[in-house]
Amino acid sequence: MNKRLILTLAGAALVASAIGISQPEPAQARIKLATLPDKEAVVVRFDHPNQVLVEEERTISLQKGVNTVDFSWAGTNIDKGSIVFRAVNANSKVEILSTSYPPGEAALTWSIASPDARSEKFRLSYLMANIQRETDYRAIVSNDEKTLTFKHYFKIRNWSGGHFDSADFITRDGKTFEKALENGEAKRVLVNKWDKVKLTKEYVYDTQRQYEGKVLTDYVLKNTKEMGLGAIPLEYGKVRIYQDDGKGTTAFTGEDWGTFTPIGDDMRLNIGIAQDIKVEFKRMVNDVENRRGNVYDRDIEDEYEIKNFKDTEATLILTLRVDGEWEMQKDSSGFESYERIDNETIKFKVKCPAKGEPVKLKFHYKQLNIW
Amino acid sequence: MRWLFPLLILSVFTLAGPLNAKEELVTLPKRDTVQLTIYNSVDLTLVRETRDLTFKKGNNRLQFSWANTLIDPTSVEFKALSNADKLEVLDTSYPAESNQMLIWTVSADEDTTAKVEISYFTSGISWNAEYHGMLSSDESSMHLTAYVSVTNNSGEEYENAKVRLIVGSIHLVEEIAALAGGQRMERMKAAYSKMRAADAAPNKKREIVKEGLSEYYIYSIEGAETIPNGWSKRLESFVQDGVALRTVYTWDPSKYGNALAKLLVFKNDEAHKLGREPLPAGIVRLFRDAGSNRLSFVGQVYTDYIPKNDEVKVNAGFDPEVQLKMKRTSFKKDNLTFRWSGNRQYIVGWDTVEDFEIEIKNFRKRAVDFEVNVVMNGDFDFDSKTKSTKIDFRTQRFTLTMEAGGSTKVTYNVRTRYGQNIKNK
Repeated sequence: MNKRLILTLAGAALVASAIGISQPEPAQARIKLATLPDKEAVVVRFDHPNQVLVEEERTISLQKGVNTVDFSWAGTNIDKGSIVFRAVNANSKVEILSTSYPPGEAALTWSIASPDARSEKFRLSYLMANIQRETDYRAIVSNDEKTLTFKHYFKIRNWSGGHFDSADFITRDGKTFEKALENGEAKRVLVNKWDKVKLTKEYVYDTQRQYEGKVLTDYVLKNTKEMGLGAIPLEYGKVRIYQDDGKGTTAFTGEDWGTFTPIGDDMRLNIGIAQDIKVEFKRMVNDVENRRGNVYDRDIEDEYEIKNFKDTEATLILTLRVDGEWEMQKDSSGFESYERIDNETIKFKVKCPAKGEPVKLKFHYKQLNIW
Repeated sequence: MRWLFPLLILSVFTLAGPLNAKEELVTLPKRDTVQLTIYNSVDLTLVRETRDLTFKKGNNRLQFSWANTLIDPTSVEFKALSNADKLEVLDTSYPAESNQMLIWTVSADEDTTAKVEISYFTSGISWNAEYHGMLSSDESSMHLTAYVSVTNNSGEEYENAKVRLIVGSIHLVEEIAALAGGQRMERMKAAYSKMRAADAAPNKKREIVKEGLSEYYIYSIEGAETIPNGWSKRLESFVQDGVALRTVYTWDPSKYGNALAKLLVFKNDEAHKLGREPLPAGIVRLFRDAGSNRLSFVGQVYTDYIPKNDEVKVNAGFDPEVQLKMKRTSFKKDNLTFRWSGNRQYIVGWDTVEDFEIEIKNFRKRAVDFEVNVVMNGDFDFDSKTKSTKIDFRTQRFTLTMEAGGSTKVTYNVRTRYGQNIKNK
């Protein structure tokens, strides 16, 4: 029983005047009940991206006539305006007449009219602040780096001031788990687990992610059914990556922030630097041409010499960026394929033979109409 | 113990007596009725109260004081509702030693009783509207409950008052709180028990009767309300089931930033089972039926006054199941225009030609509507194979419907002229 959420009940019965004089306004007697109705069926929902909705049920004994029910929440972070109070039975004859808010108190009172004395179950919903949520993942990559087991954890931290003896927590994708949660306590729960998720390993040279010209190693998970995911959009969260070492245990191989990944999109996880692949960048041509007054074009030829010191062939993906108006020239060479992602971005795939044999990507382009 | 004001003291002095003759305190008449007309556009409430007073033949001095309240002294008026022909207000004086008191000298032709009305403006009482919408699980309709809440921070307790609420914006040249001397209410220790005891409510919900008056609407709350100082009280204004609701995923960076906003739209009109009166400004909170009468929070918005037939849009935020991606796929300069200056030429005009691609994906299990607003700058030509409508001089809107699980790409091209290439229209 949460002591900070106190629901007290006062029945108001109409008292007839003892001397038989009719009064213009009926006087009301107030009876404070000693029992506080317990919270039942508590549900905490995280389906809104930044609000937490709490629902609880309380069975209240009502007397015939107008009853006053007090609800106070001192010390907890309930959004007063969001409180919705209703009988669980949609056809109930009980009516909520008004809601009153005393000054300077985290409290309210409901006036409830009941046609008879009865026990009625009510449902109370409200938004509660300071219940934090966090998503994190564990990836256990197979020894051959072709598949992984992907575990999705949901972590809640309760700073709301309230506590939950037992509540159903519902995540954004509809997973439910039952837990008790004290104020100040955090709990982490495994909500999804996907086995045999197909994985692509990429070596990436990206001018926006570049770290001293080094090549990064990425795992790419495609959030689709074909690749073993695709059930839900993947929330932003930290991914810790372990690899099966082939000896029955795993080794931690890195971690990265997984960005929010809608269904159909890629989650790209950097596991570190690929030390065995080296890229050397050189600008071979940087000429002004086609000058017209103060307007000119620039002819640029960039060379990327790539050496893969591994024992096996590897594919390197180079993501390069050029601003403004530009055209790639036909004599660019050394790539397997390329894709212009948008006006500013071009992506080359380069096959890199094993054992340090160099390969050169020639990226020849003209920046046009500069002034 | 009543220590709240305003207080009405009736004193009588004889006709023959000198003006500074010793006053005789005759009675302390209590209020018979109180009517509060509360405005929400400005901090203003018109209070009309009636009292039964006994007058002696001759001059009667009526003292009216309002210490610790937020009453505008310039607004206090006295009017006899009965025996008006026998009573006459000779003067009104504002004693120098008190700015929270006035004295009326009322002459009576004979000993008589009369019902009098005293009216004045006060600040510190306000009301606001709130709305709760319970959406069906498919979000196609909702059960809408409208509430009005009255908050009394006036420093005065009005018992069993008739309450009328004014919907609309009136014009004031000075604020009532300023005219009241800007007194703050330290007296917030409102009567918790008094509130409840006075809550002699009938066993049914109060009706709120709505009627139009000039540019305003008056909501009259059935019965009488007691709202102690510092308290608020919320009552149902109306309930309407089956209000049709539309979901439109909207791209409009000027309003919602670089994100696709899920807007839930309904109209205050007959087709939506509403439109009986304008909806006063207030917070609209939407919840969805999450099954077995449980709720899921959808979103909330503060909405301005909604006239009849006007539309309400509630932003439910980001929906991970519906996506929009926008990118510029090409950028070129064209029609370069030069001018010679001496023996050198300079660029004085050019066009830019850009291609954009909007990709839309719907992972929901039902068709959804999109509204994508694209904003251009300067002197431009817009071209697209997909139909669009002009919203203003620089905004075009694509209106699309995407079936469950569907995806599509919309492309458009913009040519923008700069410098001397800008056309003289």
